[in-house]
Amino acid sequence: MYSDASPRRFAVRLKFVCALVAVVAFAASARAHHSFVMFETTKQVSLSGTVTSFEWTNPHTYIELDVKDAAGTVKHWSIELGSPSILQQSGWKHNTLKKGLEVTLLVNPLKNGNPGGLLIQANLPDGKKLGNGPGRGPQ
Amino acid sequence: MRACGFIGLLLLAVVSASAQVDLSGSWSPSRATGPGAPAPPTPVQLKPAYKPAYDAQRAKEREANARGEQLATKGLCSPYGMPTMMQVAVYPMEIIQTPKQVTIVAEAFSEVRRVYIGKPQLPIDDVAPGYYGRSVGRWDKDTLVIDTVGIKENVPGYQGMPHSDQMRITERIRRATPDALHDQVTIEDPMVLEKPVTYTLVYKLMPDYEMVEFVCDNNREYVDENGIVRMRLRDK
Repeated sequence: MYSDASPRRFAVRLKFVCALVAVVAFAASARAHHSFVMFETTKQVSLSGTVTSFEWTNPHTYIELDVKDAAGTVKHWSIELGSPSILQQSGWKHNTLKKGLEVTLLVNPLKNGNPGGLLIQANLPDGKKLGNGPGRGPQ
Repeated sequence: MRACGFIGLLLLAVVSASAQVDLSGSWSPSRATGPGAPAPPTPVQLKPAYKPAYDAQRAKEREANARGEQLATKGLCSPYGMPTMMQVAVYPMEIIQTPKQVTIVAEAFSEVRRVYIGKPQLPIDDVAPGYYGRSVGRWDKDTLVIDTVGIKENVPGYQGMPHSDQMRITERIRRATPDALHDQVTIEDPMVLEKPVTYTLVYKLMPDYEMVEFVCDNNREYVDENGIVRMRLRDK
């Protein structure tokens, strides 16, 4: 009969627990730099508009975007991305976006309803899709 | 006879120098599981004078998160300091090694530590408190052992724990494999901790990586009157 208390079962469980602890510890350290808690990560908004500036800066990169609604009214959005170090690991460059470029951005909006968000994916005019750093898209 | 003594000393110096393992290069935060993986972190056990306030602060942070808000735990553009700077999210660090000094540059916030090899450590009270303290190192076979003291009390501690100006950080850094670096960190604080805390950071080698500049000059996050982190928006 195979017992739960067998040394082999115990060793397997210990390995599993150690691996789990290591994963949790890494996740905690990875989260340490920035919390995304101000963004509604369960909600996605698609914004099509004109880039007014692309700021390749620290601690975050930003896309400023003018979005025109059906009535022609322009609403301005500020979209946060990761830092240049993080973005360049997933295909972004300092000149990926330029003022005047028409793009579609998929974002998690701010929870407080203000016109700001966290980038999920940028769809560029040439068909290229870029996410928000390693492990964060594109979808 | 005097010449033999000199040659002996010279040989000793050469052997000693060659005993140093090359840790230089760019290293990215990683994790290791399975055989060879480091032990999990030991728990933080605070003395009774510090535990209630620490637990209350962690509870406040959890409550804020549950409300969809983030409590500010440090200045939003200020550096992390020791020990947190040794692993921030996915940011790499660079090790520059010479026989007398190992320099560690963290990409996030461009933080720099200098480890003086073979120099004695000063008494803690003789070190001006700062973000990085004073670090001295010695080689224990293939392992660089670093002793750090002199960390300011307002520098964030491991997992947000409080610490006193008597905190001492001991690190044992070695190449666990040709492509993996392990930094076993032990924090002792006789004023705050019941027992030392030990955890191991793991990194993987990034051959040919060029470190990215990090100057925090566009911080749009701010802390409101309730200590909550907010995002500043532009109107054009």
